Formats: sequence, structure tokens, C-alpha cells
Amino acid sequence: MSEALFNNPTPFEVDLQAAFAGRAKATGAQAAAFERFAKLGFPNRRIEGWKWSDFHGALRKLTPANDAEAQGDIAPSEFAALNPLEFRIINGQIELPQGELPDGLRYGVVEPVATIPELERHAIVNLNIAMTGKALGIEVGENTPDRPILIRHINTNAAFAFTQTMMRVSANARARLIETYEGEGSGFYSHLFHMVVRDGAQFHRTVVHQTGADQIVNAVCAAKIDADAAFNQTSLSTGSRLSRHETIVHLWAQGGSAEINSAALLCDDRHADFTTHVVHKAPHCRTRQIHKGVARDRARNVFQGKFEVEREAQKTDAKMTANALLLSDTAEANHKPELEIYADDVECAHGSTCGALDADALFYLRQRGLNEAAARALLVEAFLGEVLDGVDDERLGDIFRNKIADWLVYE
Amino acid sequence: MLKIENLHTTVGGHEILKGLSLDVPAGEVHAIMGPNGSGKSTLSYTVAGRDGYAASEGAVMLEGTNILGLAPDVRAAKGLFLSFQHPMEIPGVQTMTFIRTALNAQRRARGEAEVSAADFIRLIREKAKLVGLDDAKLKRPFNVGFSGGEKKRMEMLQLAIFEPRFAIMDETDSGLDIDALKMVGDVVNALRGPERGFLIITHYQRLLHYIKPDRVHVLAGGRIVKSGAAGLAAELEKSGYEQFIEAA
Ligand SMILES: Nc1ncnc2c1ncn2[C@@H]1O[C@H](COP(=O)(O)OP(=O)(O)OP(=O)(O)O)[C@@H](O)[C@H]1O
Ligand SMILES: [Mg+2]
Repeated sequence: MSEALFNNPTPFEVDLQAAFAGRAKATGAQAAAFERFAKLGFPNRRIEGWKWSDFHGALRKLTPANDAEAQGDIAPSEFAALNPLEFRIINGQIELPQGELPDGLRYGVVEPVATIPELERHAIVNLNIAMTGKALGIEVGENTPDRPILIRHINTNAAFAFTQTMMRVSANARARLIETYEGEGSGFYSHLFHMVVRDGAQFHRTVVHQTGADQIVNAVCAAKIDADAAFNQTSLSTGSRLSRHETIVHLWAQGGSAEINSAALLCDDRHADFTTHVVHKAPHCRTRQIHKGVARDRARNVFQGKFEVEREAQKTDAKMTANALLLSDTAEANHKPELEIYADDVECAHGSTCGALDADALFYLRQRGLNEAAARALLVEAFLGEVLDGVDDERLGDIFRNKIADWLVYE
Repeated sequence: MLKIENLHTTVGGHEILKGLSLDVPAGEVHAIMGPNGSGKSTLSYTVAGRDGYAASEGAVMLEGTNILGLAPDVRAAKGLFLSFQHPMEIPGVQTMTFIRTALNAQRRARGEAEVSAADFIRLIREKAKLVGLDDAKLKRPFNVGFSGGEKKRMEMLQLAIFEPRFAIMDETDSGLDIDALKMVGDVVNALRGPERGFLIITHYQRLLHYIKPDRVHVLAGGRIVKSGAAGLAAELEKSGYEQFIEAA
């Protein structure tokens, strides 16, 4: 491992290689993953699917400082009111919750995943597999009480961190997971979430990205959905220097369903990328996807959604819409909706729009007495409405609404 | 009450209002009639402060203050209400939430106490009955999927709730059935009083059967070219606008 794997390595790559070489217990699979990564390098604009999110460019400017500096006090989560079981991953270190285990739930620190075949071309996933020492493992049994699980990804320094979560939702179980990305750090964070939802189970995942402006984040969720199981995800992101949340869902067996909603609220120079790929592999699966992005200043909202329908997946019913609202001339929205269909008896549709606030509606609201800020806020909230409607938990919905209101105050 | 002096408005590079003057004293209802494209809606937008309809010359005095240059919401808080010729649909905006937010924004701006949620629900129920909108319609996103007539009823609902000092009603009667026409008359007549004024833009005499105007004006070529008593409306309906178009 001493010889250079990279051509013209950036300072960041030099550090990475040293960090990997210094790891005590890298397995053969991890060494192979590292080599795959070294061949691929960090994705740049020329790589398919990364045109609008240039990790290579952003990371080459980064000089990681592995300051083991104390992260200070961690404030309680704003989701504390939901009484969740709280896991923390602070600068890459996993902290398990204290106290008694709820019935039917098992968790612990486990061996990381050795390979994810469908993501072998994903450079950052390879790097993650190479670099992650231990993973957080969570298993939800059929009779686990309906108490949310909270994973807080908190990054407070300028270093890089690689972590994994592995989760299994057992047959007929119900699980609700909330993941928050937090902290004022300015390094690079990579999280790989590998999960399976077994037959008849229901899984709700809420992702809130609300880090400081300087974080570079790539979070990849790869989920396998079994027969009659449901994967339901709502994301809200206020972006950061470069943030990309990927969701790769395989609807493996008949009757599986996915609902994937996301909203981005971006200001200044923040960037949020939602990239999703739903693979329909069996008949009678259903997918619904709505993305809403609001951007002002020089912010950039990226949405790439792909539905793939394999030949066996007859009667697939899949719909995707992506709408962007640009509040300034310098804000940007990049959408790429994609359908790749190999079955003939399916119903698939996608639509994508991009526009400014409706001046007629704005005038109407103001004629009724709302000042400009209030009128704009009302229209932005209305724009995001469909994503909010997808949040089935009222308390969660309220937290989302408050977040949006907070964001709008800075208008 | 509303005194418009020598108003000039250029829209999209064309001068539409060319020195329009009009005075509606407190307590009176005036009607404006005029051919399509003569600038009636332009007048209402200029008075209400819509972007792109700024006056290049003249004044609009509402109770003694020139409101030109004030933000539309400030004009609204001063008691100016515009019933739109084509009310918008605003998807995602809940009707009740919006009207209450607007009412309280106006009240706050005037230094009045806000209306509580409970009082507001009572108020909107009562007024909705008056204008013939059922509860289900109030629970829909604002105007979304409403018929033309229903949208006009929604305008009247807001007129009844806001109780403005001065209301401009831009073709509220277009697209209304007979019962709705009578309803509009009832709402306006109930509000009529020494402290209020109305400017009713219409093409037809029939609304004026329900709301007896104090004066009727003809707008043509960007100016008021004729004014008269209520009887002028009937006269116009017979003779048309041709004489004025030539005159203008
Ligand atoms: N935004 C605009 N850009 C260009 N021209 C405009 C614009 N708005 C209005 N006009 C023009 O100004 C003129 C007056 O329009 P306005 O809507 O005020 O007429 P109106 O008297 O209300 O007509 P109607 O009886 O049909 O409602 C018309 O010729 C119209 O085409
Ligand atoms: Mg008009």
C-alpha cells in the first residue's frame, strides 16, 4: 500500500491513502474497494450522473485537518419531543443509546459491508467500504413498539469521516427512522446506509440535512424492498457546500412500493443534490416521487431521478414530478428525470418544471393585505405543500413546517 | 373619498390612461362603463398598486392621502379593496388560513386587535352563507378548480369579511347567475354607508338594478368622457359606445 495509487493525487487523496495504509485491520475486500476507488478517483463533472455535483473539484480544495478537538456539547435534537431512540455518529464515532432496549429491537456495532455489487462503479461508496471500520447495525423485529429511531450524523471538524449503517426491518414490522445531518464542520462526510425491508414490512425514513454551510456530504442509501413491503422516505435539505443524498431502491418482489419525497430550501452558495434510482424488478410495484426545490441567491438545486422497469415488472405504476422555484436570477436548478422501461404493460410518467414565484398570485395576496415577505412565504410554503402532505406523522409535519418558516424569515 | 386626478398610466409601452380624473365622495357608489380595452382594469390595478401599472403622472387620493407609491398591502390596510375581474387560483394555499392571515395583517397594520381563530371561523361561516359558498369550498386550496361564478363569490366573501373603506369591483357581475347577482347587490348594499365608497366596473345595466349607483361614468380612450346619473347606464345599453370612441 505504500506506492502511490493515484495519478497526481490531491492533498486530500494523499491524506486518504495515508489513512487507509495506517488502518490496522483492512480486509481483502476493503483493499480491493480502495483500489477500485483509486482507479475511479472522486467523481468530477465529466462522470455520468455527477455533472452538477463536482466532488473532485470541491475535495481538491480541502485540506483535511484531523483535529481530534472536542466537539463541545451536543444540543438536544429538535426531534427529542418524539421520544426517539437516539444514536449519534459524531465525527465518525458511533455512540449507542443508553438504557433498556425496546422489545423486538436489536442494535450494536457490527462488521461493515464488504461489497455492494450494484454500486461497484460508485467511487465514494468504494472508498466508504474501504475506510469504514465498524458499522451501526439495527434490526427491527415484528413486534417492536412504534418508537422512532433517530440517527444524528454530527460533524464538527475539518476532517473526513466514513460511516455505515446496516438495518433490517423484519417481515411485517413497522419502523420509523429519522436521520439528521448536523454540525458546523467543514470536512467531508460519507455515509453508506444499507438496508432491507422484509415481506409486508413498512419503513418510514425521514432525512433532514441541516448542517453548517461548509460541509461536504455524500450519503448513499441502498434499500432492498421485499414483497408487499413499503419504503417511504421524506427528505428536507438546506444544503451545504456540496451535499448529495442518494437513494437507490430495489423493488425486489411483487407488491413492493416506494414513496420518495424531497424538498430543498437553499440560500447563499449552498448546494443540494437529490439523486434517486428506483429499480422495479417484479410485477405490481408502485412508486411515487415528488421533489420540490427552492433556491435563492447563488444556490444550486440538483435533482436526478431515475425509474428503471425491468422486463418482468409488468403492471408497474410509477410517477415522478420535480418542481423548482427560483427566487433569484442567480439561483440554479438542474433536473434530470429519467425513465428506462423494458416492460410493456406499465404506467410510468414524469414531469419537471422550473419557474419563479407567480407575480399575479403575489399581487393578489398583497392586495389582500399581506406584505411582500409574508406573501412570498405563503407561496413558497404552498409550493412545498405536496411534500409536507406526504409526512404522515403530525408532529414531524409540524417540525418540517417550522423549519420552512424559519428558513423563510431570512428572505 | 377616492379622488383621482389627471392619472396617466403606461402599460407595456402604451399609454392606456391619459389624464383620467374621477371623484367618488364618501357614501357614494359610482359605476364605470366603457368598451373592451378602454383601460378599466388598468385603472383598478393602478389604484391598487400592481407592478407594471405605476402612474407616470397624476394622483390618487384616498381620504386625503395620495396612495400612489405606497405598497399594495399598505393601500389594502388603508381600506382599499379590489374585486378582481379574473381572480387567481392559488394552489397549495388554504383558503381559511389565507383569509385570516390577510385580515389580521390588515388589522395589525391599522393597530387593531387580531381576530382569534374561533371568532374568525364564526365570521367566515356567517359570510360564506351570505355569498353562497359551502364549507367544503372553504376547505379547498384557494379558488382551485372553482367555476368562474364561484371565484366571484369568493371575492364577495372577502369583501364582506374585510369591510373595506373603498372597494373597486372589476366586472364582478360577469359570469354570475341571477341569484348571485342579487347576492352581490345584497353584500354591497349591506356595506353601503356614509363612511364607504364603491366603484363598480361593469358592462351591463343588470347589476345596477340591484345596486343603484349615484353616478355613472364612461371611460373611453383613457379618460372619463361622460358622467351622468343612474339613467346613463340604460342609455348606454341602447346606444353603445360608438359616439365616445369617435370623440376620444
Ligand atoms: N400587461 C400588458 N401589456 C400590454 N398591454 C396591456 C397590458 N395590460 C393591459 N394592456 C392593454 O391595455 C389596454 C387596456 O386594458 P384593460 O384590461 O385595462 O381594459 P378593460 O377596459 O378592463 O377591458 P375589458 O372590458 O375587456 O375588461 C388593452 O388594450 C390591453 O391590451
Ligand atoms: Mg377589464
